[in-house]
Amino acid sequence: MNASAASIAHDAHGHHGPVLQYQPGLPLSRGKLIMWLFLSTEIMFFAALLGSYVVLRFGAAVWPKPHHVHLSEPIGAFNTFVLICSSVTVVLALEAARANKRSLAKIWMLTTLILGAFFLGIKAYEYSAKFSHGIYPAAPRGLIYERPDLYYGSAVRARLSDPAILERMKELDARPEAELTAAEVTGRRRLAQVREMSMAADQQAFDLAVIADQVMPLPDDAAGGHGHGGGLNETFPWLQLPIVIPGGNMWASTYFLLTGFHAIHVIVGLIVFGILLLYELGPKHAGMIENAGLYWHFVDLVWIFLFPLLYLF
Amino acid sequence: MSIPTPNKPTDSHGPITEPGPLSESQAAGESTSADHPAGHGGDESHGGLGLYLAVFGALCFLTTMSFFTYSSYWPWRDEPQVGWAFMMAVSCTKALLVVLFFMHVLWEANWKYVLTIPAAMMAIFLAIMLIPDIGLRNRMVAQERALHMARPADLLLLEQAANAAEGESHHAGDHDH
Repeated sequence: MNASAASIAHDAHGHHGPVLQYQPGLPLSRGKLIMWLFLSTEIMFFAALLGSYVVLRFGAAVWPKPHHVHLSEPIGAFNTFVLICSSVTVVLALEAARANKRSLAKIWMLTTLILGAFFLGIKAYEYSAKFSHGIYPAAPRGLIYERPDLYYGSAVRARLSDPAILERMKELDARPEAELTAAEVTGRRRLAQVREMSMAADQQAFDLAVIADQVMPLPDDAAGGHGHGGGLNETFPWLQLPIVIPGGNMWASTYFLLTGFHAIHVIVGLIVFGILLLYELGPKHAGMIENAGLYWHFVDLVWIFLFPLLYLF
Repeated sequence: MSIPTPNKPTDSHGPITEPGPLSESQAAGESTSADHPAGHGGDESHGGLGLYLAVFGALCFLTTMSFFTYSSYWPWRDEPQVGWAFMMAVSCTKALLVVLFFMHVLWEANWKYVLTIPAAMMAIFLAIMLIPDIGLRNRMVAQERALHMARPADLLLLEQAANAAEGESHHAGDHDH
């Protein structure tokens, strides 16, 4: 620190002036500090989404039960278990990296990646179950109506008057009984009844409720599965008549938003792990692994709150 | 005049001593000394496989506990609020375990309070602030909305329709007429 202007000018080694000694403001690395700051913003992001969900759900006049919307709690619990396992494996990868056991660290990292991908696979299966029942985040793909009222009735009529659907119904009626399964035989009869009821001149509220129940029944027991028969939409997948789930649209909106954003975060985490796998996982990169692990633990944390709020409440 | 050389990190911040085995990698220019505070040298004393597996076991147990509210052995089926309180307590415990042990926050210095406490306060505050406008939105609902929104009465109507259909199919023996 004794350098004068003259020595600076004549410095042959390329140093330009006094070399300062930086003290870290906090006893943690820059990468870790930034990761924690980022995680606090993520906490607020998910707090906003979760808070809105909680408030919407408890402020709603009526909210669908999990079995009304084909939500499976055991699958959710299994997903929780998968994510917890992946959290353990990423911590073990970090420990292995710090102990300079590079191949072991790589194995744990790969296991974390596989478990994360498994989680996404199960999520995709759950989503496909919702989609196949006509539960989408929004219209027009979403078939959910809130009440069995006149608007629902007219939507059913519109669908049944669709030329393509008329074609298929004619085709279905033409087939002999021997060719069809038992479910299709009863389904065909019920479809005819529903057609008649929807075109009737003096519809009562109860009739519309009966139509809704025939199209997709709301099972009244958690373990009961599909109530009686599973409904017309299930027997004939091409039919895709509008369905009635009271509170269903708000449910679908919040469910897909929360789990969708969480899944995006999982995908980002998997990309980070994929990139990390290209490195030598020794003590030199332990800091990177630790920070990636912090992010992944946060993703697990969000799911720990999401699971009971979405599946069990 | 001698050129001032870069200093090695001193132990001016308390219990953190010399970097140890990381200093060679620092010399390679991979990162500056600020990136690897020497505290990591002694980190093997934190954590350990036994502790992580114990926490994992606790997490699995707690997940089973929260799933217990779904089973038929749950005694408070008629009071869902008990279930909600229980599930929230279980979730908070699981979150605490993950944060303290997997994220190593238990062994971090006091900055952890600066980061976590305001974030937690904001999270709770945010949720509470949504109650008047969104949580209570059905208290002061306009007639136009009231005509179209779902009510518990609609659920009852659907249930009645389901029962009627059930009765009819049992009555008719569920065969073609």
